[in-house]
Amino acid sequence: MNAISLKNLFSFEKTPLNLLMAFVTVALVAAFFAGAVIYILHGHHAYNVTRQHPWGLLISMYVFFVVSSTGLCIISSIGHVFGIKEFQQIGKRAIAGAIITISSGFAVIGLEIGHPVTMLIYNVLTPGLTSAIWWMGTLYGLYLTFICLEFFFLAIKENHTFSKIFGICGLLVGLAAHSNLGAVFGFLISRPSANGVFYPVYFILSAMITGCYLIFLMYGFKYKMNFPEKVRVMLVKLSKILGMLLAVLIFFEVWKILTALYGDMPERAATIMHAIKHPNFWFGELTLGMLIPFVVILVSNAQAIKATVYASITGMVGIFFMRYGLVHDTLLYPMTTLKRAEYQLAPSFVDYFPSATEFMIGFGGIGLSLIMYYFADKIFNLDESEETHH
Amino acid sequence: MARYGMALNYKNCINCRACESACKEENGVLLLPDHYRIWVGVKEAEGEYPNISIASQTYHPSQCQHCENAPCQLVCPTNATHYSPDGMVMVDPTRCILCTYCINACPYDARYVDQRTMTVDKCTFCSDTRLANGETTTACQATCPTKVRVFGDLDDPNSEISQLLAKHEYRRVKEHLGTKPKLFYIL
Repeated sequence: MNAISLKNLFSFEKTPLNLLMAFVTVALVAAFFAGAVIYILHGHHAYNVTRQHPWGLLISMYVFFVVSSTGLCIISSIGHVFGIKEFQQIGKRAIAGAIITISSGFAVIGLEIGHPVTMLIYNVLTPGLTSAIWWMGTLYGLYLTFICLEFFFLAIKENHTFSKIFGICGLLVGLAAHSNLGAVFGFLISRPSANGVFYPVYFILSAMITGCYLIFLMYGFKYKMNFPEKVRVMLVKLSKILGMLLAVLIFFEVWKILTALYGDMPERAATIMHAIKHPNFWFGELTLGMLIPFVVILVSNAQAIKATVYASITGMVGIFFMRYGLVHDTLLYPMTTLKRAEYQLAPSFVDYFPSATEFMIGFGGIGLSLIMYYFADKIFNLDESEETHH
Repeated sequence: MARYGMALNYKNCINCRACESACKEENGVLLLPDHYRIWVGVKEAEGEYPNISIASQTYHPSQCQHCENAPCQLVCPTNATHYSPDGMVMVDPTRCILCTYCINACPYDARYVDQRTMTVDKCTFCSDTRLANGETTTACQATCPTKVRVFGDLDDPNSEISQLLAKHEYRRVKEHLGTKPKLFYIL
């Protein structure tokens, strides 16, 4: 931990990029709190969720944050759990990022769950053991505890044995929690487009990809694209891992879509066809999230680190569309197929667009992550100890 | 203990929707969009004039199917959704955290968020408003002018519903999902 005064905490180099980031961060944090006030005043009326589309942007953003957290945890474990030397330098920064992103996720979901206090009480008193949400929530609580302890022994009271033990526990519980989050969607027998083994597996894979993107972004920002050799070597290797993961993800997605469309199964085929025709999928998820980073890595043979950092920005935008699509596409198909009133059209694919409050809270969560990361970077030494220049 | 279910002579339905009104009145369901425990689905006539199939226009009264293997109960993280001793799927408002996972999981669109309690609400077969007072019918059944609905104990071989199901073919909605719904549509 660094000894730091309040003045130091809020002083930073006034470069255009830093000023832009400061402005974006403050604006997003303000949006989050303004959204939270609107929610407290108006409840779920402030959201555009309905009976037919009960989950919306906030669930997507929750998934976005916890995927980021799990991804950072998995990628950091390459170094300090599995002992790959080049990756040991990212351990503290990645675990700090994991704690920060899951905390933002909890802040967002806390404003979506109607009765969070009741949840804390009855999760313990009358646990629904057949519920993927119960397992996901409980395991994520445990995961947060483990990674906090891991960070404590990495950055505050250095103890490699304890940090490794809690690192392994955090990794295993994180994987279990995250695949359970996939199962929240995969277990829905009422939604043939989501039901099945795909999501629990895909969640882990896409988490690793998200973790890679975030590492690139964190290091790109920290070193302002002038990477020391040690960092460059690590990022080239990470880039190769990312390329391979993207190839696997694209392969998975292709087969998921082909399987869904094949045979024109009722509900499933029509839902997936509707989803893949939408720009959210082919532009957001596919082009921004997968193809641009993949092509950059492929063409440069994983050597173009700066381009990969920029591609990680499009990658994270794509990851957002992935999470949004996950929720929206799951709920696309109407559960009642008959109209209920005389002058009503027969139900078709369910429409949903987030309300301003949902955008404020959901994207405001990114502001929470940014400001927590800024403070963490100031307060703690997030690099390897022997390289400290603070 | 009883095992309650409902048979529907849905071909008798005239879409007057007195059942919807009676349900709202009996159970205090708010007059807001998305607030309905039961509804009548309208299947429009098929064909083009003058060859319109009159027989194809049917009405499908629907509500919570009180599944024996209810997906909404399986996914509830706090067991707020539970089975009553009479086999009905019920929601305990004190335990509901309003995660709305059950709304996503229900294949029948039978659940909604009640703005009064801010918990998930659904059909209870009028268990607290009528059955608890000794009534043997639900409000929707009692008000139906064409006697579409027959509510009763499926385990009692002499009950009206058991007799009806023994003598008629019926179908259940989305049975292939393994939910074992207890709403029977008489064919």
